[in-house]
Amino acid sequence: MIEFRLEGRSGIAPYLQLVQQVKHALRLGMLRSGDQLPTVKEVVGSIAINPNTVLKAYRELEREGLVEGRPGVGTFVLKGLDGPPPHAHAALRRSLLRWLRSAFDAGLDHESVEALFDSTFREAAEEEIA
Amino acid sequence: MTVALEATGLGKRFGKRWALQDCTFELPAGSIAGLVGPNGAGKTTLLHIAVGLLEQTSGSIRILGENPGNERVLSRVGFVAQDTPLYKYFSVDEMISFGARMNSSFDIAFVHERMSRLEIPLDQRAGSLSGGQRAQVGLALALAKRPQILLLDEPLASLDPLARREFLQTLMEGVTDTEVTVLLSSHLLTDLERVCDHMMVLARGRFRLIADTNDILKNHKLLIGPRERAGAISGVEQVLHQSATDRQATLLVRTNGPIIDPSWMVNQVSLEDVVLAYLDSRSTADATNGELHAVEEVAR
Amino acid sequence: MIWVAWRQHRKQALIETGIMAVAALLLVISGYQMIHFFKSSGLAQCLSTAGADCGSLRDSFENHYNGYQVLVPLFLIAPVLFGIFFGAPLIAREIENGTHRLAWTQGVTRKRWLSTRTLMITGFAIAGSSALTYLVTWWSRPLVTSGSGRFTPGIFDLRGIVPVAYTVFAVMLGVAIGAVVKKTLPAIGLTLIGFAAVRVAITLFLRQHYLAAKHTVSAFGAFKGPNPVGHGVWVISQNTIDRVGKIVARGGGLDFDYLASRCPGIQPPIPIPGGLAKGSGPDVIQSCINHLGLRMSSTYQPASRFMTFQWIEFGIFIALAIGLAVFTVWRTKRLS
Repeated sequence: MIEFRLEGRSGIAPYLQLVQQVKHALRLGMLRSGDQLPTVKEVVGSIAINPNTVLKAYRELEREGLVEGRPGVGTFVLKGLDGPPPHAHAALRRSLLRWLRSAFDAGLDHESVEALFDSTFREAAEEEIA
Repeated sequence: MTVALEATGLGKRFGKRWALQDCTFELPAGSIAGLVGPNGAGKTTLLHIAVGLLEQTSGSIRILGENPGNERVLSRVGFVAQDTPLYKYFSVDEMISFGARMNSSFDIAFVHERMSRLEIPLDQRAGSLSGGQRAQVGLALALAKRPQILLLDEPLASLDPLARREFLQTLMEGVTDTEVTVLLSSHLLTDLERVCDHMMVLARGRFRLIADTNDILKNHKLLIGPRERAGAISGVEQVLHQSATDRQATLLVRTNGPIIDPSWMVNQVSLEDVVLAYLDSRSTADATNGELHAVEEVAR
Repeated sequence: MIWVAWRQHRKQALIETGIMAVAALLLVISGYQMIHFFKSSGLAQCLSTAGADCGSLRDSFENHYNGYQVLVPLFLIAPVLFGIFFGAPLIAREIENGTHRLAWTQGVTRKRWLSTRTLMITGFAIAGSSALTYLVTWWSRPLVTSGSGRFTPGIFDLRGIVPVAYTVFAVMLGVAIGAVVKKTLPAIGLTLIGFAAVRVAITLFLRQHYLAAKHTVSAFGAFKGPNPVGHGVWVISQNTIDRVGKIVARGGGLDFDYLASRCPGIQPPIPIPGGLAKGSGPDVIQSCINHLGLRMSSTYQPASRFMTFQWIEFGIFIALAIGLAVFTVWRTKRLS
């Protein structure tokens, strides 16, 4: 069974954090098709968050077709998440290195790079979900 | 009914001092709201008026559609006062009997199950319970009434971090799958952030902000940019707080549209920072009921 | 709610019962002793014989039980003890401990909460004070029969139905003061003072006026014989008056200077250590009294009015208690 966590000040909406954690577990194979997600009651009982947050996260996962809610029974994983094929990873890595080098050349230090990456990443993540 | 608790122009005066003034709000049924503010802001006063322990000086308030303290709502309102008052010389079991005999409907099995899960012995004197255990007993007694609205006055204040977490877990579990509205007051924002979907910010007897938590996070941003850029920024409704170094200005703003000005870096703000900005008496902020209108400067 | 009320008053009730049991035991033991002596000394026989002069037997009895006479007034405080023990803490302690925030936010209205608990403690108080009154009446009968009668202030207050009314009043006074003061110890203090003030005021100033007092003039009998107005009567005041009705001496005594200035040869008694004074003999004084036409004027309430007065005073205190109850309900409606 997956265990959720909440990062207080990460700036990412709580329900999104839960969605990401489910997707992460799916990617790593910790959650497989047919597995049951913890009930809302179990989640709030273990990490003390608003039940609506959990409901919203589960609805979002359902909307993306990753899980299925069966009334009176629970929420179950429909399919796993496969990562991109290995060669896609390598290409992405190379373009990322190129971008990092140009960032350092432009005079950004490590923390500035991180800050820039974080804020842009968040914007993109929200856009994707919205 | 869609509104669990509502007030119009509510005010309370003690002698010469106004503890509450011009309080107007509507709390939707089913929401979990946090009443946050510094000590002396009037949180306890507001809660006591809502449950009928205190009578207001001006304005009106309706809980579940009735006057507070009215016979019709007494058994539908759950309340735990600050520091969870219990009868010190009663055993936990006798406190349960108390609850059962003072209320028309009371789920005794629920409380017993809670007590055994939390390992609180039934024959222990209420006066010798730890702070965390007292809070849990008080919460269980209130939840056992199966209330339609639950009001908690600073339930976390005297609890250590572990007890606070356990209390919130118990509270959230207790309200899942029910339609109960919750209003809990605290001056600890981090705990409220996790559980509340509505925030009501009170300072010196007046509401500074009443809004849905998601709306707050969506409509407030931190803008960082070069100091020289002054003047109106499109998308910014009001600047709540600003600070500057000789090169850089940081603005905490309330938005009414997207910020497209490229000279400003737009960041998320934590709920805590937004609330603190509204609590700051130097800020001209005042926003109520989700519509976040700017209001004239609040007199100091 | 009844279980709750009992659970909260349980300890008080048990302590109160314990104290009463001890008091009852002492009363019963000493009461039987007194009755025994009352009979064996012949005083009982004497008092039931018409016309007999029981003065010396009476004096002997009173000397023997002088100590007990002193105890009698102690029972006057029993009502206020119920008041401060049960009444004062009822609301005051609840507010002092903050538990009113728990008790008044349950499914029971404040009025029902208050009335259930008040009725319960009033019930205890009535039961306790009734039992005590019965015992004290039985116990003090020999003392009263040989003494000044049951209508006398101090004894009137211990018999019949008024002690119960005092108790109910004391309890309601405690509850009402507790509701105003909201702290137990000051409430106890104020209840004691308030109760004493009301009781003293009514006993000393109001009681004699329940029905118009009667007046009578009789021969001056300060030197001999029992109370000229009869047994069991409440003598409110007596004055010595002269032939035309002017008051010569208040309290029914004799002013020797007055006598000496009007009758030649009267010498006031000079107290000498160890015995009666030397001076003019009783016959000389008596003839002077006759010569001057001195008589005794008495203001009194006849013995037959005893129960009537009991009912009037009972009514007054119950009415006060009801007034306090109404006040308390009004007062607790919206405080905190």
